[in-house]
Amino acid sequence: MRVKHPRNALVVGGVFVLVAIIYYLVSHDAGGTTTLAALGIAMGLAAYALVVGTSDDL
Amino acid sequence: MSASTALTTHAPAIAEGHRAGISNPILGMILFICSEVMFFAGLFAAYFNVRATAPVWPPSAAEVGEHLAERFDLHAEPWLAAILTIVLVSSSFTCQLGVWAIRRDDRRGLIRAIGVTMVMGIAFLIGQVYDYSQLGFGLSDGTFGTTFFTLTGFHGAHVFGGVIMLGVVLFRAMGGQFSARHHDAVEAASIYWHFVDVVWICLFSLLYIIPTK
Amino acid sequence: MATTALTPAATTYRSSLYEWVTTTDHKKIGILYLVNSFVFFFIGGILALGVRSQLAVPENKLIPPELYNQLFTLHASLMLFLFIIPILAGFANYVVPLQIGAPDMAFPRINALSFWMLPLAGIIMLAGFLTPNGAAAEGWTSYSPLAQRAYSGTGTDLWVVAVTLIGTSSILGSINFLVTIFKMRAPGMTMFRLPILVWTALVTSVLVLMATPVLTSALIMLFIDRNYGGHFFDPATGGNAVLWQNIFWFYSHPAVYIMILIAMGIVSEVLPVFSRKPLFGYKAFVFATAGIGALGFSVWAHHMFTTGTVYLPFFSFMTFLIAVPTGVKMFNWIATLFRGQLRFSTPLLFALGFLTMFLIGGINGAFSAAVPVDFALHDTYWVVAHLHYVLFGGSVFGVMAGVYYWFPKMTGRMLNETLGKIHFVLMFIGFNVTFFPMHILGLEGMPRRIAMYASSSGWGGLNLLATVGSIVIAASMLPFLWNVLVSLRSGEVAGDDPWEGNTLEWATSSPPPPYNFDHLPEIRSERPVFDARHGRTSSHGTRA
Repeated sequence: MRVKHPRNALVVGGVFVLVAIIYYLVSHDAGGTTTLAALGIAMGLAAYALVVGTSDDL
Repeated sequence: MSASTALTTHAPAIAEGHRAGISNPILGMILFICSEVMFFAGLFAAYFNVRATAPVWPPSAAEVGEHLAERFDLHAEPWLAAILTIVLVSSSFTCQLGVWAIRRDDRRGLIRAIGVTMVMGIAFLIGQVYDYSQLGFGLSDGTFGTTFFTLTGFHGAHVFGGVIMLGVVLFRAMGGQFSARHHDAVEAASIYWHFVDVVWICLFSLLYIIPTK
Repeated sequence: MATTALTPAATTYRSSLYEWVTTTDHKKIGILYLVNSFVFFFIGGILALGVRSQLAVPENKLIPPELYNQLFTLHASLMLFLFIIPILAGFANYVVPLQIGAPDMAFPRINALSFWMLPLAGIIMLAGFLTPNGAAAEGWTSYSPLAQRAYSGTGTDLWVVAVTLIGTSSILGSINFLVTIFKMRAPGMTMFRLPILVWTALVTSVLVLMATPVLTSALIMLFIDRNYGGHFFDPATGGNAVLWQNIFWFYSHPAVYIMILIAMGIVSEVLPVFSRKPLFGYKAFVFATAGIGALGFSVWAHHMFTTGTVYLPFFSFMTFLIAVPTGVKMFNWIATLFRGQLRFSTPLLFALGFLTMFLIGGINGAFSAAVPVDFALHDTYWVVAHLHYVLFGGSVFGVMAGVYYWFPKMTGRMLNETLGKIHFVLMFIGFNVTFFPMHILGLEGMPRRIAMYASSSGWGGLNLLATVGSIVIAASMLPFLWNVLVSLRSGEVAGDDPWEGNTLEWATSSPPPPYNFDHLPEIRSERPVFDARHGRTSSHGTRA
């Protein structure tokens, strides 16, 4: 997977944070927003680590 | 270069996970941290939910009685928790000093730094247990007690796990098992320790600093 | 193609029991997962037969309600947590390292640990039956207050411990798969040359990694409520029963994708081989799978529409949206078959069964996505029909396709085709006879999780029909079991590549040597073995 800059992988996390924000605005559900926002953080971290961790050849 | 020779020269390296990028054990630890983030997310979500649906938070004297309501007011006496925070944050620094040390092959420096980090981690745990004994409320004292002890308790359990991890690293370091080229366990343990620190900062802010309604 | 193993005796070597118990070889661990999962499939199936026996006639006194509740709770819990999730993980465990050209998984010992937690968890869960109040009986969804100490016994605590163990096993496995897939691919195996099965294992692992810990947190909170005087889910002291539902379904909705995606991957492997055509729209499959995984996190409250605490439009909209990537996959599978040279061997039959049955399951799910429809059909047999069409008609048929497809690779023997076809026909007929009537029962208002219904309800006929169907399903297992046992001993010898497959597992002996490959063909596409067979590599004409 050729990502130009590994930091672009953080977009994955950003998507979920965006969903969390939209969700909070429409529902004001504190619990669900927390899990969605945490998901954004965790996904961003995982995507970044996996992309950075992979060799350039593949 | 045919595929078979490519495989035979790469095979040991592939098996050890030392290709370019992050090594396998460290990548595994980072992914484990992601799962831990989601574990704490569930606990935090429960806290936010319970807090949002309560008319007053922490629960007022009218709901739980004068005595408990007073004990629930953590913002009034955050001092011990603040000291614990300083201890834990500092221990993250000392842990990182250990990582930097072994990266330049300073094995004595590694041992010193990890030793100090462990001591600070144990001090945090002792302080936490002491704080529990002074609080004046328990896990079954309403939703406040339950959420407080569950959140801080599981954090403490993770600190305990981290101390064990650091202990193993220290033991192996004293046996001379780490060098500048091979010290994955040190990096992995330090990443875990930083995570535990970040969770505490979130908890401390949430429970002791951020104003409640 | 002649076998090329450096240790020619590899195919006839029989491992000892000690080796099986202490193995860290992903192939053996994969087989352990498969066998263990089938054991729980059969136990779960027997529990289902108990449920269907009770419901066969109205006002049946066969099984008391307290026991009935344990039967359906354990049926679902065993099937979901100890059969379908682990068996798909088992297929992935066996196949993924082979398909990426790796010698094993990234963390072989953790791989073994992940497996051995499962039989232990199963025993703990089933031990509930031996306690005074019996096994867990609140449904696999374990809602409070029914799951609280006041209404349930030790069996529920055992259930909580067992599911926590299974979750931990899954999370460790997911870390293993992600590191393996990203870090241990053979040279030339770029991400967009990965077989779709590997992609589905990747996305499933992300879902497991992110969602399962949330379930763990919910289970711990329930355990604290039950045993340490906690007040998370107890409304009497300010807790919130719906909080459980929210946290539970935040995991359990992605969980259903964990339960289907790898089965979809299996189908995506079988269809190209048995239609002798490349998979249509490879990249679309990758993005659709990722899209399903991502969207799957934002729909959890569609299981809770009727609680009155949910922002309905958001969840209804997101639920309808998931139909889009799923539809893309459906059309691409059909396009793969279209104008192919179809060989109707048993793996293809089960894959076709998957396509048709999962289509029905997807459509009846789309009905429920509409809030007013769900208000009428929630907690009725309509939902039971939906979940079985996707999980059985979908996942189980996918699993069976995988069994018949990879049994030759795993054992070096072919399964008998005639018995396979009998198995398929009986299972397909039995499945539809059992579960199609449940659509009608749901529309007629029959609630789920009831031990008994009145004769005046008029539901007796369809229930009896469903029970007959369940017996046919049970019967279909007999040719399957017989086939497996006989073929292990005296099935036709398979050779390296009996199906003329596309992917790397067919480039080594059946079964593979412990180190997997003596040499790999050149990898220049997502079909390296096909390329090698048809001379499409740069070393065409030379033997490497």
